Amino acid sequence: MNALIALGIIVAVVAATILFAAASVRRIRMSPQEYIVGGRGFGAVFLWVLLAGEIYTSFTFLGAAGWTYSFGAPAFYIMAYGTFGYVLGYFLLPWIWAYGKERGLLTSPDFFAARYGSKALATLVAVVQVVAVIPYVTLQLSAIQIFLNIAGYGSIDAQTGAIVSFLAIIAFVFATGLRGTAWASIVKDALVIGALLFVGIAIPLHFFGTPATMFDQLLRAHPNHLTLGALAAPKGSIWYVSTVLLTGIGFFMGPHSIAAVYSAKDGDVLRRNAVFLPLYQLVMLLVFFAGFSALLIAPGLHGTDADQSFLTVVAHYYPSWILGFVAATGALCALVPSTALLLSSASILSKNVVSDLFGRALGDESRMRVTRAMVVVIGLLALGLWVAYKTTLVSLLLLYYNGVSQFAPAFIFGALWKRTSPWAVGAGIVAGIGIALALAASNHAPYGCNPGFIGLLVNVVVLVVGSLLAKTPERRALNG
Amino acid sequence: MATKMLARMRYALAAVPMAALSIAVPFANRVEPRILGLPFILAWIAIWVLVTPLCIWALGRIEHRW
Repeated sequence: MNALIALGIIVAVVAATILFAAASVRRIRMSPQEYIVGGRGFGAVFLWVLLAGEIYTSFTFLGAAGWTYSFGAPAFYIMAYGTFGYVLGYFLLPWIWAYGKERGLLTSPDFFAARYGSKALATLVAVVQVVAVIPYVTLQLSAIQIFLNIAGYGSIDAQTGAIVSFLAIIAFVFATGLRGTAWASIVKDALVIGALLFVGIAIPLHFFGTPATMFDQLLRAHPNHLTLGALAAPKGSIWYVSTVLLTGIGFFMGPHSIAAVYSAKDGDVLRRNAVFLPLYQLVMLLVFFAGFSALLIAPGLHGTDADQSFLTVVAHYYPSWILGFVAATGALCALVPSTALLLSSASILSKNVVSDLFGRALGDESRMRVTRAMVVVIGLLALGLWVAYKTTLVSLLLLYYNGVSQFAPAFIFGALWKRTSPWAVGAGIVAGIGIALALAASNHAPYGCNPGFIGLLVNVVVLVVGSLLAKTPERRALNG
Repeated sequence: MATKMLARMRYALAAVPMAALSIAVPFANRVEPRILGLPFILAWIAIWVLVTPLCIWALGRIEHRW
């Protein structure tokens, strides 16, 4: 009965959101021009919703609390790196926008084709970006599976849950599309605030009186949980700094973020967003409170189980309808960003690989068909990764950042240094990702440093040295 | 003179929050003093998340963006 109520609420909320998004899109199509310019009068707000919707995902909701539960202070990086990314974005994003607008660019690999004049490089970037997005989709998929498992009070096993999640994601993409995503984000964000106030404020108040008392108890039970470990320890200070730098630099480097940047009305819209978006990061405090509370109330969860920490508390101590709403909110947090991730990566495959490289699917209609097919293919690959490699949500996110951050030097040096050569950019990306993956796979972290950050440093060195060595430096116009 | 100083301040307005959230955090790696009940390291990050929008806003003012 409890499971029926909770699961019923998930299905109802998700279905209502899909209907709302589909209806909003239809309403907008009546005045398509208003839509195409991103809402003209409310460019900044529209973009805010789109960016916040894509960046604050079920990871914010579950993964961060899970890490707070398991590791404590290292999870604080999650509040810092986005803010770091926004400051960098203030300088970089308007340039990327202007460059893209001038040349009518649609995807992130398009930038590489335009700036570096190399189809080979654009293809390499296209493939690597799609591969890097897969763990991010896997993250969303395993999150939905967790929500279903908890809301079903154990009646839905992991395999069934994952397959249902996959089908739900595909259905959401096909039903709403990218235009509907921004509208679905509005519903999602309203629910997120409500759910986080509940798990981050109501739970600590209920069990401990105030968040301060919760921290007092936590310090008595786990004295080292609230500070970073020694300098070079695993998840120590060096790990913290290198991870904030890696993920902050990579913050806007995902193909879906670049697509959102292109959709801005002008550069100042992006700059204004850099002022408002960091405030959204403050909600992470509530997520930390939820994770810490769960550690005191329901200790003993290990590994991937810690991702369910505060949900376990909700399931144990609160009525099933509350659990249903919390889980439904989480499911939307996974579905909305998945749509953006799958559509942007599928459109990269259809535009930059199928059309630009093989000269197929050039018309609008056939490209649409290919894009949809690619959505299913990438979704299946994400499902495959889930089966093959079970890990925590934060680990999946770090895997994604190991990949996408490696594109940052190409954008930053591309903006600042005329001499940057396509071969050096390509070699840097390959070297950076190779080293990051080799270190991550062998569980090597010199001085506790994040492997992706070491990859990024190597990437920059290869890019700079390679560009200096290149005999005939490409001199391309830099101004967008 | 004044414009040169402003130009330099622009970069400080960006660099200070970025440093405060990354390399400075290991130096704030303490529980005491607690601020509003939060351990110091968490309060430090939260305060800089609040201050960063002000820095970016000031940066935009100096650049005459708004």
